[in-house]
Amino acid sequence: MRAKVLVVGAFVLAGLTRPAPLTVWAQQSNAAKQTAVAARTRAAVEFLASDRLEGRDTGSPGERLAGDYIAMQLARTGAKPLPGRRDMFMPFEFTAGTRDGGSTLTLRSTGNSAQAFRDTAQVQALSFSDDATVNGPVVFAGYGLVVPESQNFGYDSYAGLDVKDKIVLVLHYFPEDTDAKTKATLARYSDLRYKALAARQRGAKGLLIVIGPRSPNAGQTLRMTSDTALSGSGIPAVTISGTVANALFAGAPKSLAAAQQELDSGNPHVAGFTLPSPVDLTTKVIRERQTGRNVVAYLPANPESQIPNPDKGWVVVGAHYDHLGQGTRGTSLANKDEAGQIHHGADDNASGTAAVLAIADALAKQPTRRRNIMFTLWSGEEIGLVGSNAFIMNPPVPLTDMAAYLNFDMVGRMQNNRLAADGTGSSDVWPRILERANVAAGFDLNISPDPYQPTDSSNFNQANMPTLFFTTGSHPDYHRPSDTADKINYEDLDRLVDFAVAVIQAVANVDMPPAFTKVDPPQTGATLAGVRVTTGTIPDYTTEAKGLLLAGVVGGGPAEKAGLMKGDIVVEIAGQSITNIYDYTFALELLKPDVPVKVVFTRNGDRREVQLVPAGRR
Amino acid sequence: MKRVGLTALLLVLGSVGAALQTAPQTGAIRPTENRESDFLTRIRRLTVEGRRAGEGYWSPDGKKLVFQSEREPGNPFYQIYALDLTTGDTTRISPGYGKTTCSFFRPGTNEVEFASTHHDPKSKQYQKEELDFRASGKQRRYSWDYDPEFEIYAYKPGATPSAPPTYARLTNARGYDAEGSYSPDGQWIAFTSMRDAYNRTLNAEEQKQLEVDPSYFAEIYIMRADGSGQKRLTNVPGYDGGPFFSPDGKRIIWRRFDTSGLIANVFTMNPDGTDVRQITDFGAMSWAPYIHPSGQYILFASNKLGFENFEVYMVDIDGKKEPVRITYADGFDGLPVPSPDGRQLAWTSTRAGGSEGQIFLAQWNHEKALAALKAAPERKR
Repeated sequence: MRAKVLVVGAFVLAGLTRPAPLTVWAQQSNAAKQTAVAARTRAAVEFLASDRLEGRDTGSPGERLAGDYIAMQLARTGAKPLPGRRDMFMPFEFTAGTRDGGSTLTLRSTGNSAQAFRDTAQVQALSFSDDATVNGPVVFAGYGLVVPESQNFGYDSYAGLDVKDKIVLVLHYFPEDTDAKTKATLARYSDLRYKALAARQRGAKGLLIVIGPRSPNAGQTLRMTSDTALSGSGIPAVTISGTVANALFAGAPKSLAAAQQELDSGNPHVAGFTLPSPVDLTTKVIRERQTGRNVVAYLPANPESQIPNPDKGWVVVGAHYDHLGQGTRGTSLANKDEAGQIHHGADDNASGTAAVLAIADALAKQPTRRRNIMFTLWSGEEIGLVGSNAFIMNPPVPLTDMAAYLNFDMVGRMQNNRLAADGTGSSDVWPRILERANVAAGFDLNISPDPYQPTDSSNFNQANMPTLFFTTGSHPDYHRPSDTADKINYEDLDRLVDFAVAVIQAVANVDMPPAFTKVDPPQTGATLAGVRVTTGTIPDYTTEAKGLLLAGVVGGGPAEKAGLMKGDIVVEIAGQSITNIYDYTFALELLKPDVPVKVVFTRNGDRREVQLVPAGRR
Repeated sequence: MKRVGLTALLLVLGSVGAALQTAPQTGAIRPTENRESDFLTRIRRLTVEGRRAGEGYWSPDGKKLVFQSEREPGNPFYQIYALDLTTGDTTRISPGYGKTTCSFFRPGTNEVEFASTHHDPKSKQYQKEELDFRASGKQRRYSWDYDPEFEIYAYKPGATPSAPPTYARLTNARGYDAEGSYSPDGQWIAFTSMRDAYNRTLNAEEQKQLEVDPSYFAEIYIMRADGSGQKRLTNVPGYDGGPFFSPDGKRIIWRRFDTSGLIANVFTMNPDGTDVRQITDFGAMSWAPYIHPSGQYILFASNKLGFENFEVYMVDIDGKKEPVRITYADGFDGLPVPSPDGRQLAWTSTRAGGSEGQIFLAQWNHEKALAALKAAPERKR
């Protein structure tokens, strides 16, 4: 699973290993069942999560080995390459990483010799920067925030400023000292991409970002993140250090610190001004291209037949098999002791891969069905759903012939019989099919209509296809080396395979392909770009609650210190009411490190409140 | 609506609940020990389809569950469905139009009783009106309307799979007739009726009461399975409803509201209305009682912990001990019904989120239940 990384990242930073309670079903297990279970999913998980595959980073040798293994296992079930293809591999190109290729900023103040900055500690391109060389005067435009008028809230850092063909300098984040409601509005528009867009739309030809002296991580340049690096934003953009900023402010009517203090009150009428020294700005972002491989195979509607049934189309069943390698990309949550170790990704997502392989095996033994089944094992998921996106962009069969997509991501850590099925709003057939199949399977199903999930199924939803996404949710080993095969709940993974087979057969046999229903995207605005604190909470994604249900708290973290614990439902933080994970992320944006806030939560139905002191986050 | 409707409760009480919520508990945390897993394991959501479902009652062989659910386009009211717990197949029992509620399998037969208004010529008009109202986006202070057209029917499937079912009308009295359940031998039905509000001349105060809340007139009745021999068993102002027979057929358990409609308690009596005994005394809304097949204890729901927070409790059959809390989830947990073998529990819950209930199933630990009842303190009188 990918994007929830960002959300969870804020909560799970500190290290903690907790052995997963293996099963509540132990009482009904027996030796025969154990053996059968091990034969179905354990071998694939143990192989994929082994040290030998080195964390299956997209494009790495370990990923290639995993792809080879998957293709071999699919072939063993009787699945074949798609018609007209020699093998099951569908390669795609991707941006493996971005780094600064030598961006420079030179001050050309009159009378003085030019001051040039080239070290990444002084000037560093943002990952979405265009490559360009521009020069001209620099205009300080406050926080660079533009709130649309539709928000009934006037705030435009560019009001009265002419920045056309100039270079703009803005502060990172949003005014520090305003009330929660104002912050809430401004935070929504403080994402750096949004600030770049605002500058570009006003004709600026370059953007400089500085973390102001009154903000956390003051004066530091921003580490380049790879996960937003897939396209340029149409403007050269860099972060600069406090040193560079001070040099730019030399001779200005007020210092950066004084300017920020004025702005931090939230007064929208603090005007920007032109700085004394024009600059030359050169940006260079190196984007490294590599190749990853999706593995795609199919079972014909009639197993006796050698060709696909052309009439009724396809049901697509998929899981990603890539993971984080040794955690060198931004989404690793390894703590200091674990840094650089192999991220095994047993749950994320050897579990889903093993499930799809077992599903293929079971379906190959089933009688005929009306639709062909396509199995898609994605790479490139952890770096931005890249593999499934490449598939959608260049589909091997028309997308309109695909009746539905079922996704399995992190399905190996079932606790208390709880299984989340997300995206049920994408077609009206899902509730009936799930209810019927679950009578025999007996999961405590948590149904969510939302198909906008941080996993490959969201690409299919964007392509107007009914989707279902199964997961057993997050845990303290998420995106850390400790996500290992010994912690997988194989018995329940096996039950999930049987359940999935029943669901897939039902979709494969309905007369008309399921109708797609477009679900409105969640109104969020919350991005982790603005979150500067950690609260040490681990959200439970498998259970719906009016608020944020905690799957646990990080040992020694702010939440634990405040007395919060697993099962608590957070309903309010710092005066912001919380009804879901989006609200929670949004509320976190407004918190400051070491500034205590009131947290209201319910425990076993009782409403309580505590004080929580957020910790800083880099 | 049998044993008082979930939605009705939540919404009618909503304003009071909101007021209570504004006074959060502060200070040090006193953990409440969650003992749910002592009694309930392998908890699972059973119903998924549709807007809401509730009141699941087992067939005598434990292989089916009959329940009410809103799940078909065109009808915003409950219809009755039977779910085969082996195959997962669901069959609609009721005709598909009108309002229905309160179903129950008739032991020894393939019949199912339920309450319905489908004979009302205005049924489909009401459906359209409700759907139009919802589409308008307006909010109303919902309350169960105790439609006086509700009558009790016995469903019997057709002789062949293609033959239509038949519906025998068992009651014919103006005023809500519903909340029926069969005796273990299948020969009797205990039910709730508000006919007392319509079969005599009301004084001014009673007339006003009828306009505000007709459930004030609800009393427990009994009749033979064919509808003959209808007889009134209770005669106390306030909503008497939700009667079920004990497993040996020798007692009827039900809940009695006070005249305010806010406090309810569980009672038992003989099937002729004699020997009335009060079982619970929480000073809260304790209702939807059902006797475990062992005959040793009663499961019921109460909002003792908060106006909107209903939990399932159990209490010994004579109510001598303090009741033991079973569920620990926000929102509504109620309408508990143990399976005929006493090893599973079906109940209605909002624990999946939202304000609308769905049916949940879990394994029921009878031994731990007995041990917990034994350990419970004597109830102070």
